[in-house]
Amino acid sequence: MDWQAFTLTLRLAAVTTAILLAVSIPLAALLILGRSRWLAVLEAVATLPLVLPPTVLGFFLLVLLGPRTAFGRGITALIGHPLAFSFDGLVAGSVIYSLPFAVQPLVAGFAAVDSSLLDAARLLGAGPARLVFTVLIPLARRSLLAAAVLSFLHTVGEFGVVLMLGGDIPGATRTLSILLFNQVENFDYAAANRTAAILLTLSVFALAAIYMGNRPRGGRRA
Amino acid sequence: MLKPISIALLGLSCLSAALAQTTLRIAAAADLEPVLPPILAEFQRATGIRADVSYQASAMLTAQIKNGAPFDLFLSADSGYPQRLIDAGMADSPTPAIYAKGTLVLWTRKDSQLPPPSLDLLRYPGLKTLAIANPDRAPYGRAALAVLHNLNLYEALKPRLATAENIGQAAQFVYSGNAQAGFLSLTSALTPQLASSGAYFVIPQPLYPPIEQGAVILKRSSQAAAAHRLLDYLLSAPVQAQLAKSGLTPVH
Repeated sequence: MDWQAFTLTLRLAAVTTAILLAVSIPLAALLILGRSRWLAVLEAVATLPLVLPPTVLGFFLLVLLGPRTAFGRGITALIGHPLAFSFDGLVAGSVIYSLPFAVQPLVAGFAAVDSSLLDAARLLGAGPARLVFTVLIPLARRSLLAAAVLSFLHTVGEFGVVLMLGGDIPGATRTLSILLFNQVENFDYAAANRTAAILLTLSVFALAAIYMGNRPRGGRRA
Repeated sequence: MLKPISIALLGLSCLSAALAQTTLRIAAAADLEPVLPPILAEFQRATGIRADVSYQASAMLTAQIKNGAPFDLFLSADSGYPQRLIDAGMADSPTPAIYAKGTLVLWTRKDSQLPPPSLDLLRYPGLKTLAIANPDRAPYGRAALAVLHNLNLYEALKPRLATAENIGQAAQFVYSGNAQAGFLSLTSALTPQLASSGAYFVIPQPLYPPIEQGAVILKRSSQAAAAHRLLDYLLSAPVQAQLAKSGLTPVH
């Protein structure tokens, strides 16, 4: 068992999930509380990674983050090394790739909050930040959990972006999904089975945790 | 109301049946991607036989064929993978037909701010990322690894290797500027895109075992005759001369 790939994958998923929540909560709140028509465009853009094939996304990022664009050179100067073939590069790619999996549950959860509660809070003088932290988040905490778990798992299972952007470097960019791909490609089906079993177990437990949280005592239709 | 639709469907199925009869499916190593298209276009003009090609690392194609991928002809970048298919009883010949030899080069972009490519470049401290194809499944990657071992540079360069899925992706890593240098196939280095933006150094042959590119025709092919015609065509003198211009060494 390659524990290095295992811990790397968990670290990548944890960092990505933390960044995604920090980005998605304000974004989802803006989409729900805002009134501009242009927000529809913003929501569309935030959903795009669902549509783009991950390998294409990875290729765009490889070109965008590379030294041949001003953007890529700027980032390289800022963090001291190029993003491609590094852990930081995978984080950047994963944040974009998993963005819809954090934003969509939050938007759905925030939209389900009774608008009269929001109106009451506004009348009592609550600003947008208070609305988000004292009304939306507490009432939509299950959506928050779903956003966190889906982002985490989607990053654990991410493959195409890592394949294009990673360079298969042990300890930096060789994640479980790449390891699994390598094992299958090298005809090492026994090892591939073990890696796949770990990925599956991790996913089943995490998803069961969400659904358990979503299930009221005595069943859904009690 | 249904009639025109069913006629159209019938027409479509006849069309696809007609296409299936004259279209060969080829599994080809990624280093052939810049080489094969004009050769296959010429073959189609001469014989009327169309060929569709999937380019991948040789090991990946081998795995796909073993698991039932419907290819007629497999053009590998080495002779080991075709041999595996022969051993598995899936090929129609006892040995792979060697159709060319591959050449490994070290390539850099002109704007990489590195010294021009040479063996000394591999010892240059400013070299931070070196792209290679996956040595476990791409013959050119295996050759690159042999070079590093023979020069006793593997341990020093190991943390700086960016491993690509196949030799085509290795070229993309360096061409996009994300890796500073890369071990590529001469066939990639000679493409107009790479030739105009970079420089290459041919790795001296004693540093790596020859990349003998072998082909097999698959037993379950229903178009073995057409596949043999294509393989004979690849081995013919004019096509072999054309291979030489594209960065492969002819076998005769």
